[in-house]
Amino acid sequence: MNNDIALKADHIVKYFYEPQQFQVLKEVSIEVKKGEFVSLTGKSGSGKSTLLYILSTMDTSYEGSLSINGGILTGKSQNELAAFRNEHIGFVFQFHYLLTDFSVIDNVMLPALKLNKKSKAEIEEKAYQNLKMLGLEDQALKLASKLSGGQQQRVAIARALINDPSVIMGDEPTGNLDSKNTDIVFDIFRELTLTRHQTIITVTHDDDFAGKSDRIIQMSDGLII
Amino acid sequence: MLATNLKIAKVHLTSKIKQSIVAVLGVTFGISMYVFMNSFMTGVNDIQTELAFTSISHIHIYNDGPPDNTNLVKKVYKGNVAINIRNARVIQYTEGIKNTGEILALVRKQPEVIGITPQVNINVFFRNGSNKINGTLSGVDVDNENRIFNIASYMTSGSWNGLQYRHDGVILGLDLAHQLSLNINDNLNLLTPDGVSKNYKIIGIFQTNVKNVDKSKAYINISSARQLMDKNQDYVTDLQVNVRDFEITEPVVARIAPVIPYKVESWQTSNQQLEAGSKLRNIIAQAVSLTILLVAGFGIYNIMNMTINEKIREIAILKAMGFSGRDVTQIFLAQAIVIGVIGGLIGMVLGFVIADVVNHIPFKLGGLNYLPMAYRVKDYLLAFIFGLITTLVAGYLPARKASKIDPVDIIRG
Repeated sequence: MNNDIALKADHIVKYFYEPQQFQVLKEVSIEVKKGEFVSLTGKSGSGKSTLLYILSTMDTSYEGSLSINGGILTGKSQNELAAFRNEHIGFVFQFHYLLTDFSVIDNVMLPALKLNKKSKAEIEEKAYQNLKMLGLEDQALKLASKLSGGQQQRVAIARALINDPSVIMGDEPTGNLDSKNTDIVFDIFRELTLTRHQTIITVTHDDDFAGKSDRIIQMSDGLII
Repeated sequence: MLATNLKIAKVHLTSKIKQSIVAVLGVTFGISMYVFMNSFMTGVNDIQTELAFTSISHIHIYNDGPPDNTNLVKKVYKGNVAINIRNARVIQYTEGIKNTGEILALVRKQPEVIGITPQVNINVFFRNGSNKINGTLSGVDVDNENRIFNIASYMTSGSWNGLQYRHDGVILGLDLAHQLSLNINDNLNLLTPDGVSKNYKIIGIFQTNVKNVDKSKAYINISSARQLMDKNQDYVTDLQVNVRDFEITEPVVARIAPVIPYKVESWQTSNQQLEAGSKLRNIIAQAVSLTILLVAGFGIYNIMNMTINEKIREIAILKAMGFSGRDVTQIFLAQAIVIGVIGGLIGMVLGFVIADVVNHIPFKLGGLNYLPMAYRVKDYLLAFIFGLITTLVAGYLPARKASKIDPVDIIRG
C-alpha cells in the first residue's frame, strides 16, 4: 500500500430505497493523497454528499470498499468506526451541528475528552488555541446557541480539528458563511494541508473556493466526470 | 470517559429543566400510586383479618361428640333379623376435654404457638324477667382469653379484668344487653340445659362489631362456669390456640392432631368462607398492584422515550464525533437513573402523604373510625425498586435503538 495515499474508495455503490429504489452512486472510485486539498462539486442530487458521508464512515450501508490511512474500514462495527472517526476524521457539517446547550469551549473539547489521550488541561489549552486561530477566543464560555451562524460554523471547525485528525471532511463548510469568513476558513484549511499534512475533502457549491483547492472532483448522476 | 458522559447527561437534564421535571413527575406519580394503593389494600386486609379473628382462634381443639350412630342396629345385627328398637338414645361417655393440663403443656411446647386458652362453653338462656334469649356462655381464663381475642379492647363499659376477681360477674355483648334491657351493675339470670338457674351481676359490656357475637355471647370466669356445670376444676370444653402466622396452621395441626384424642381443627377448615375471602382479597390486591405497575411503568416508559427522541439529533452529532453506542447508552442510562431516583424518592413521600390523608377520611362502620391504611416499609422499598427498574428499562430500550443507527440516517433526516 502506498504510504502517500490518505484515502482510497473502491467501486462504491449506494442505493436509496425511499421513496423508491434509486442508485445514487454508480461504482465510484477515488484516491486522495496525504496533504491534498480536494473539492467535491456537482449539482444537487449528483451524489456528492452521499459519497462524502460514506467516506466519513458515518454511512455503512454501501457496496465497495473504503480504506483510510491504509486500513480497510468496510465491514467494521459501528463502535470501531466511531473510535476511528474520533481519532482520525474531523467532520464539518453544512449546518453547524453544535450541542447548543453546551458552552463553546465544551463543544470544542468533547471529541478530545472522548479520545481521552491528553489531560483535561492540555485539551482545554488546545481548544483555546483552535478558537484563537478562528478568532473566537473571547466567545469560549458562551453557550453555543448564543453565537451567530458564522461563529457557530467556525466553532464546528475548531471542534473538527481538536484531535489533529489526518482527514478533515466538510459538507459545504462555508455554505452559510459570508465571503470574509469563507476566506478565513479556506486559509485555515490551506495552512493545515501545508504545515500539518492533513488531508481535506470538502463538498462545495462555491466555485471560487473549489477553484483555489488542489483538485476538483466533479460528480454528476452518481459518477465522477 | 464516564466523567464526560455524566457531564453530557447532566447538561441534558438541566438545560431543559421543564422536561426533566415532567419526566420526574411521571415516575413520582406512578410510584406514589403504587405505594398508596398497596398501603390501602394491605390496611383493608389487615382490618378484615382482625375482625375475623375477634371471634375465632387459629386452631380449635374440642370434643367432637360421639360418632354417627343413626344406623346402630345394622352394625350389631347383620343379615335378616327382625329387630324393633324404639326411642334409641345416644349415651355420651365423655363430655369435654380430659387431661387438660397435659394437652396445654404439649401445645405450649410447639414453637409456632403464641397463646392458648381453655374455655367452658355452655348453651344457656339469658333471662331478665320474662325476656328469654338463647345464647352462649363462655367460661374463660381471663388473661389468656384476652391474649388471644384481645377482648379487653372491645369493652364499652366496665373492665375485662374484673372477671378475674368477681366470680359472680358476667360480661355481656352490647346487643344482648339491649335485648334484655339490661345495663352494667344490673342482675342477669342464667338457665343451663341441665335446669340450673343462677343470678350474676353484669360487670362489663363489650362490642366486637361482629353481630352474631354481640347479640348472643357472655363471659364469666372459668371457675364459675365449672361450678355452674357441676364439673371438676379440670373440665374444659374447648381449647383455643393462636399461632404466630395465622396463614400457617397446618404444620402445627399435623403435629399435634395425632397425639391429642380430640378434634384439632384449623380456622381454614372450620371457616372455609373466611379463608376464601382472605385468599380472594389477596388475589385482588395482587391484581390491582400489578395493574398499577403496568400503567405506571408504561407512563414512565413513554416519558423516557419522548425525552430520548428529542435528543436524537444530538446523539447523531455525538456519534459523528466518535462517541460509541456504549457512550450513548451510558448517557441516557445516567439520566434515567437520576430521574428514577429523584422521582422515586419524591414518589415515596407523596405516596405516604396521600396514604396519610386517606387514613384520616372518616369511615364509621363495623367499629372503624377512619379508612384503614397500612404503613409497611416493604411497600415503599418495592415501589422504589420497581420505579428504578422501569425507568432503567424505559431509558435503555430507546437508548439502545439510538446507539445502533448510523449517524447519517438521523442527520439526513
